[in-house]
Amino acid sequence: MRRVISLWLPTFAIDRINHRAYGKSQANPSGKTIDKPLATITCAHGGQRITAVNSAAQAVGIVPKQSLADARTLYPSLTVHQADPTADLKALNILREICERYTPWVAIDTFDNTPSNVSLWNTGLWLNITGCAHLFGSEEALLEDLFYLLKNIGYQARAGLASTPGAAWALARYKTDPQTKLWFISNTNEDIRNCIAELPMKGLRLECAIIEGLERMGLLSIGDLYRIPRAPITRRFGKSVLHRLDQALGDLEESLSPQRGRSTFSKYLAFIDPIGRREDIEAALNRLVVSLCTDLEQANQGARRLVLTLYRVDKSTGKVQISTSQPRRDPTHLSMLFREKLEIIDPGLGIDAIVLSASETNPLKVRQTGLNTNSIAEQTENVIKLLDRLVSRLGSDNVTRLEPVERHLPELASREVSAVSIPSGVKQDWRGPTHYPSRPLQLLVHPLRIDVIAEIPDGPPFLFYWQNHQRRVIAAEGPERITPEWWLIRGNMWKTKPLNNDVRDYYRIEDKDGKRYWLYRKGLYHPDNHPTWYIHGFFA
Amino acid sequence: MHPYIELQVTTNYSFLRGASHPREFATQAKNLGYEALAISDRNTLAGAVRMHVACKQQNIRMISGVRLDLEDSPSFLCFPTDRRAYGRLSQLLSLGKRRAGKGQCYLFLKDLLEGNVFQSGKGQVVVVIPPDEINSIFKNTLHKIRNKIKNNIYLSVNKKYSGNDKTRFVALKALTSSLSLPLVATNDVQAHLPERKILHDVLTCIREHCQINEAGFLLHANAEHHLKSGDEMLRLFADYPEAIANTVKIADQCRFSLDELRYEYPVEPVSFGSTPQQELSRLTWEGADERYPNGIPNKIKTQINHELTLIKELGYAAYFLTIHDIVRFARSRNILCQGRGSAANSSVCYMLGVTSVNPAEIELLFERFVSAERNEPPDIDVDFEHERREEVIQYIYDKYGRTHSGITATHITYRYKSALREIGKVMGLTEDTIQSLSSVVNWGQSNKRDLKEEYIREVGLDPTDPILKMVLDLARQIIGFPRHLSQHTGGFVITKAPLDTVVPIENAAMKDRTVIEWDKDDLDALGILKVDVLALGMLTCIRKAFDLIDHHHGRKLTLSSIPQGDQQTYDMLCQGDSIGVFQVESRAQMSMLPRLKPRNYYDLVIEVAIVRPGPIQGDMVHPFLRRRNGSEKVYYPKKELEEVLSRTMGVPLFQEQAMKIAIVAANFSPDEADGLRRAMATFRHDGKLPLYRERFISGMLQNGYELDFAERCFKQIEGFGDYGFPESHAASFALLVYVSAWLKCHYPAAFSAAILNSQPMGFYKPAQLVRDAREHGVEVREADVNNSNWDCTLEKITNIFPPPFRTEKKRIRNEVKFSSFLIKKSHDDGLEVNKCRSSKDRSTALRLGLRQIKGIQKTAAELLVNTRKQGYSSVLELKARTNLKSSVLENLARADTFQSLGLNRRRAFWAVKGLSVDAPLPLFKHLQEHQFQREPSVVLPTMRLGEQVADDYLSLKLSLKAHPMELLRPHFKAEKYITCASLTQLSTESLVLVAGLVLIRQRPSSAKGVIFITIEDETGVANMIIWPHKMEQYRQTVFGSQLLGIRGKLQREGIVTHVVAERLFDHSFLLGNLASKNLPDPNFVQSSDIKNNLSIANKKTRTPIPRSRDFK
Repeated sequence: MRRVISLWLPTFAIDRINHRAYGKSQANPSGKTIDKPLATITCAHGGQRITAVNSAAQAVGIVPKQSLADARTLYPSLTVHQADPTADLKALNILREICERYTPWVAIDTFDNTPSNVSLWNTGLWLNITGCAHLFGSEEALLEDLFYLLKNIGYQARAGLASTPGAAWALARYKTDPQTKLWFISNTNEDIRNCIAELPMKGLRLECAIIEGLERMGLLSIGDLYRIPRAPITRRFGKSVLHRLDQALGDLEESLSPQRGRSTFSKYLAFIDPIGRREDIEAALNRLVVSLCTDLEQANQGARRLVLTLYRVDKSTGKVQISTSQPRRDPTHLSMLFREKLEIIDPGLGIDAIVLSASETNPLKVRQTGLNTNSIAEQTENVIKLLDRLVSRLGSDNVTRLEPVERHLPELASREVSAVSIPSGVKQDWRGPTHYPSRPLQLLVHPLRIDVIAEIPDGPPFLFYWQNHQRRVIAAEGPERITPEWWLIRGNMWKTKPLNNDVRDYYRIEDKDGKRYWLYRKGLYHPDNHPTWYIHGFFA
Repeated sequence: MHPYIELQVTTNYSFLRGASHPREFATQAKNLGYEALAISDRNTLAGAVRMHVACKQQNIRMISGVRLDLEDSPSFLCFPTDRRAYGRLSQLLSLGKRRAGKGQCYLFLKDLLEGNVFQSGKGQVVVVIPPDEINSIFKNTLHKIRNKIKNNIYLSVNKKYSGNDKTRFVALKALTSSLSLPLVATNDVQAHLPERKILHDVLTCIREHCQINEAGFLLHANAEHHLKSGDEMLRLFADYPEAIANTVKIADQCRFSLDELRYEYPVEPVSFGSTPQQELSRLTWEGADERYPNGIPNKIKTQINHELTLIKELGYAAYFLTIHDIVRFARSRNILCQGRGSAANSSVCYMLGVTSVNPAEIELLFERFVSAERNEPPDIDVDFEHERREEVIQYIYDKYGRTHSGITATHITYRYKSALREIGKVMGLTEDTIQSLSSVVNWGQSNKRDLKEEYIREVGLDPTDPILKMVLDLARQIIGFPRHLSQHTGGFVITKAPLDTVVPIENAAMKDRTVIEWDKDDLDALGILKVDVLALGMLTCIRKAFDLIDHHHGRKLTLSSIPQGDQQTYDMLCQGDSIGVFQVESRAQMSMLPRLKPRNYYDLVIEVAIVRPGPIQGDMVHPFLRRRNGSEKVYYPKKELEEVLSRTMGVPLFQEQAMKIAIVAANFSPDEADGLRRAMATFRHDGKLPLYRERFISGMLQNGYELDFAERCFKQIEGFGDYGFPESHAASFALLVYVSAWLKCHYPAAFSAAILNSQPMGFYKPAQLVRDAREHGVEVREADVNNSNWDCTLEKITNIFPPPFRTEKKRIRNEVKFSSFLIKKSHDDGLEVNKCRSSKDRSTALRLGLRQIKGIQKTAAELLVNTRKQGYSSVLELKARTNLKSSVLENLARADTFQSLGLNRRRAFWAVKGLSVDAPLPLFKHLQEHQFQREPSVVLPTMRLGEQVADDYLSLKLSLKAHPMELLRPHFKAEKYITCASLTQLSTESLVLVAGLVLIRQRPSSAKGVIFITIEDETGVANMIIWPHKMEQYRQTVFGSQLLGIRGKLQREGIVTHVVAERLFDHSFLLGNLASKNLPDPNFVQSSDIKNNLSIANKKTRTPIPRSRDFK
């Protein structure tokens, strides 16, 4: 007989946040949770709405789907976090993997019958434990172990265990018990019938509108359906009602499919004797890379990210990850990128299996290679290869290029971005809105203070000293007046400083040797405040 | 100072572009020694009047102008040289605005160079603004422009400090020489001081919907776009002195002033050969004959003659005729209307039918309203039925044309909350931080400019955070900045000359509405008259009540034919029995009525005016009540005040009195008094108020008044600033108070039906209105598909004493044992109230209309009613005949409207659900559906009363079957709660425990943080007072509960009872259980924490009871 656990994680999103804030660590061994009211919010229905709450928030009357404004009325200093369904799903996937210790057959359950699908509060997992329970002694023992684990991680949960998924689902969510049990087991099909009879109609995983209709007829609990003739119900509410009922009662098969986290491009190699030497790992890796690349080629795909998972004999796992700046399926190149990292692998007591998977791929067509090896394409190819190696060795944050930024201050008008990052789609202008005057070819990181003789209040320089030489100005253009960004100034001077003391007048000047400089005067002229001069760059 | 005049001035009326107010520009221009200053906002004259007024105050000349932003060419500055040119410019803007949607203006080069409107710049000085890049396209366009506009055309040049200014100057100079165009210097001014650059950046971000750190090149690189002195400008343009000189040359040419916009009354059609004055006189005497069929009393005759003379003297006849015509139109369409405002309560208006307030009854001096001395135009607002006002508006448009009439604009300005919200966004605060911030403003301090640090801390924010500090600082600066134009509620400007030559006209957001650019203060400043066409829900209600009474009882009533001085009506009001009565139905008014005990019309005038922030803040209420009750002697500080204050027992209550005190006691001239009123009403940020205060108090002290009295008087005047309530308005409103009270007293059934049919309006929701009707002995019947119309209707009761209840209800009622208090009460009270209830009204019952039902549209209801004929006998028949959508039928079933078909709610719903959705197959088309679809019979669980009530509330927002509290009573009784009704029998200071549905939460600004909550149970309502410290303690309960339990001390003043809360309990969860199988068991509350925690899914988040009406 099939045995299915439906695990319900009612405060999953909040538990995950607690994790992040007070994750179990040396500093916080008790796994203490935030005991102030806490909620996650999202934008829905023309406003900010609560998606999940912790028990403290619930205690002050804050519930999911409430608007944030209402919640704040109840508790002004409510702590809120933006709901992050992607991160929730990721965390749920990790939990799913963890649960694979009970059965290889675990699936994520995100059925939500609420009209606005803003929350994950109905989140749960399916565990098909058919034939697995004896490994733990009994079903009861398995559940005990499961809940011990969940408690340790910090997830609140409830579970139902039955021979049909439908019944298990309903039990987990709607069965209440005076002894506040966290899980409910129903043993036989007959037992199911009695067990779920008194549960509310919502336990049937039906659309909200159907449940409301049934409730309107006075059909409040699942058992009420047992007594009603079937045809009129179907006529009024469609097939799904009885379909779900039959599934729950076991009269109709319901198949669920487990999700495995493996990507489509994945290769597996197991060893009879555990390996540990670097050469062995490298050899195994090479074999995997080659066969993975064959798969990729057949699918016209190239890898952007590869993950190598090592399963050690002590049941722990290790992961190594590489990423590329372009889609790739060149075995030598990919192996080389991995080799840069192999030294960080700790084989532990030995590795008995390795899995290589391409977690991120992009389309990559088969390309004809040219005869002329010095073609531009080849050269760029080489640059890219170099980039990949540099990135792989130094880390992606340490290999950078410059990108224009729309800021008036010249030193802020560009920024460093990771060399492998995809260029942002917005085409940005290097020079600014006026196109003219152009910026110097060479910009000093730190402008240098210089002595200048210039006309007051805002005339161009006549004469300046640079590298111990007096230089006479024969041509000057300007000023270009730039006010620093006031919102970056901390302290009380933010309203005046950028406009007076910090304002810059830039001049493009040429000395009599034909050299061109970029100078600026800092601060506006004022009888008791003489501006200072700086050199900031050189033109060609 | 070198003569220079700035021509390119962008004020904050170029919305979100200019960073200074017109008055700031004017002041700064004066400081810099300007002789004149131009205004050139983008395609608008919205700020022109403000600038005009400000410049006058600074004694400099304003040059009216506009920056024309075209769709297909560079922009122009345009300055009209005379009145006609101004008219053409205004018409050009109107043209562009009427083409576009709200707030937009689409103009093309063609409009400027060709066409009759602008006449190729005839009479204008045109300045072309070159683009950043001077390319061949621009040069070609300039050629084209030069060929069309021969005279007075210039090219502007400004120093941008962008590094290449010199090159640009040379290029522009070359261009001008080749076209022989003179150059003119401007500074493209967008702020009066360089410091405003910061605000300008923020405004730019608001406009472009971006954050400050992403704005990049949208922001100016520097702060040079401010007003500069002539010397500085000469230094910047040292090589081009002629460009500076040309500014003065242009200014000298543009001699047009907004003062030249003479207002002329529209010409009303008059009888052949007569002047408006003669026509007015004729109409007035005709009206008088109608009002007094037995001859006009001499006193009235004198009064009319006196008023007519004054009107003639001031030349206001045409204005009165216009009002009369609008009112006449409304009357011809059977639209109820009522004039109010300073001139409305005159004999002339009474005779013309503009108002129904008999001036003989209130003896107001006409001079008080229209005074020759003050030269203030008469002010008449006319209220119309809110559902039909649009007809009147369209009539005015039709009669005078869109070119001669338009609705006044309202300049929507930033308030603290909107400022915080938008600036918070710009500065990158997260949405929830912004919301927390604005929630602080929410609570009782929307107008104050300072947020206390502790409030900010309270919502979990750090007041020392630098970004937050910037946001608060900037928000304070931006308060009062205009944001966009909106339409005034109904202020019409009607002119003799085409209106679009006076001011640009644009489209409003609403269909078929056109609006001018100026608001009422602008119009006031220019002396242009407007007529306020306003909407009033109570007039709709009264009209509907009149119609019902006419239809059912054959009695024709009008506002003026209601019997005056009816003592039963005043008795009712003295009891505080005023739910549904105009103006006096609020909690505060209801508790005031028994204290004030109104016995005549003028008492009502006082009643309306007294419960207002002005008198309350000025602490005028208690002295007045004491004097009225005789416990304090009526005393006048000085003889001269007796004349002003005798009508209100020496206590100033009305705006007019406050003004009069300023004149009589503080030596203000009438003009100054009026200035004082304005200073408080609108231009509040001028900072003139302290000056007036000093002047007022010193004036009164000089005249020998006590400081305390003087300060109190001034405080009251301040209160009027927010909610001015002049006697003239109160007088008009009081009439409607009386009429609605009279209807409620004598025709409660008709009145209740009318008020339900006029929803939404007033203070109460249908549930309370129906409850009130039943308490007054009106039989209310449930909405039903066979008996109800869209509106609530009246039905004949054949048997005067209503049969107790129908069988079905009896059955469900018997299921739960409860006290039938409600029914008993309505019967007991019924006998007493029935004394005044008209016998005809007593024979009618109120049938709820289908409009009460959630999810039923008017069209669907009308279809249902029109095809009803003899009635429907089954759901199937109803579906077949009406072909209404299933969702509509479901909603009808939910509302339990199939009772006359013998179907209860559940069976009706079952039947509706059973109708097949698809059209029948062709083969079976001729068969009746039920003939071949025999179904096994189904027994549905019976509905308990609790479920019925819960469903009633969900669908109708009220239940005639029982009050939710009635069902929960056993629970509350066990917990020792008493009923609201029993509070009246307890002595003051006794400790009580009551519970009920929260109807209203209020935090009046005048009550210093005290919260008033009105709760309702099955026996009645009770008022709670919650002191601020209790509110803090029980915040969640106070704000979050729908079903509130209160333990506290009873306080009684007269017949008004309050409970001062000591402990509060949230019982809302009980409501969710109304429909569940078991009524709440007391153990529920003690459920363990973990269970509570995990039962979110089980928790019913939706309770059936509608939310209370809070803080309005």
